[in-house]
Amino acid sequence: MKILQIVEQAFRTLVEEQDDTILWLTQSMAGAGADAEVLLSGNAVYYATMKQRQPAVRISDWIQQEPADIPQDINRLLNQGIPIYVLNDELAERGLDESMLHDGIKAIDKQQLVSLYNRMDQIWQW
Amino acid sequence: METKKLTFAFMDPPFENERTITFFRILDAALDQGADIQVFAYEGAAALAFSLQKAHGNSVHHRDEVQEAHPLTKDWIAALQNKAKQLGVNLEWVNCGLCVDERGVNASIPGCKRGSPADLWRYASESFNTLVIGTR
Amino acid sequence: MMQDYFFIQSQEQFTDVRTRSQYDLALSLAKSGKAVSILLVQNAVLSARKKVDSPNVDALLSHAVKIYADSLSLQQREISPQQLNTSIKPAQLDIVISAMLNGDKVIWW
Repeated sequence: MKILQIVEQAFRTLVEEQDDTILWLTQSMAGAGADAEVLLSGNAVYYATMKQRQPAVRISDWIQQEPADIPQDINRLLNQGIPIYVLNDELAERGLDESMLHDGIKAIDKQQLVSLYNRMDQIWQW
Repeated sequence: METKKLTFAFMDPPFENERTITFFRILDAALDQGADIQVFAYEGAAALAFSLQKAHGNSVHHRDEVQEAHPLTKDWIAALQNKAKQLGVNLEWVNCGLCVDERGVNASIPGCKRGSPADLWRYASESFNTLVIGTR
Repeated sequence: MMQDYFFIQSQEQFTDVRTRSQYDLALSLAKSGKAVSILLVQNAVLSARKKVDSPNVDALLSHAVKIYADSLSLQQREISPQQLNTSIKPAQLDIVISAMLNGDKVIWW
């Protein structure tokens, strides 16, 4: 059973799990045998262009020790053999382009998105 | 007729969004159609089964706790568990353990277990179909 | 197996700009030959009222996409069946379960 994991809610990463929770969940499920592919959609297309770890938050004298590291999450997914896609239209409307993508992430157009949906057994829109 | 298993993943906390109501109505409808249900409660949804949820009165409404009859999601889960039992179908409920820990909502009502994303995958892979309801 | 698509739309067109691209995708899937249904729930049913200007919904209806509106969500908002777009049918949530048991790809928006 092949699942498309659609990640759409971006940048809650500083508090919940110090991670993107769906990228994390996908890694965990893949470790348990899931056959998943990932579509970064909406504002989560920014994840496909990130180069650095998230900034550490400081609240009074509390300083975050382990901020989320999205490029590492992306690397781990790719190293697990999980394809990651973004829609080029969603990049463009945010002033981003394919040249900014993390190595290994594939930009697709709307027609390819339809094919991607049709190729999957289930679509999990998070 | 063969009973089909359906899996549901849900992310929202008890009282903050209309999605919670719709989610529980969908579970109720699944029982009505005789499906076995498996739920993976992720992030805020880990508090849906928190046993220390407490009904309260409402001074603006001039009603005490009994009169106000405040809805609590732990009671909805219990009601679904009872309905499943009466119908002879299964209702399994797993809370994401890490999500439970960070929220301090370990005290779940009976029948709701602690688990991990591996349980979501196990549920989904043994189910006929799965619906994910993400947060917004 | 040929799987149909069943979308549950919880977002509304007035403030949730994502609905436009979601409906574009549903339209593309319908044009690719797939059977597509959409159930409007929660505030999404606000689009189901007569006289609401919704070119996306009109385009979907003209491509044989079936659109339903959750009865309780309508009732909450005091939208009667008579006030609905005549191409949108009120429905109970059991159609979600029917779609799941039919093996459709059921997707929450």
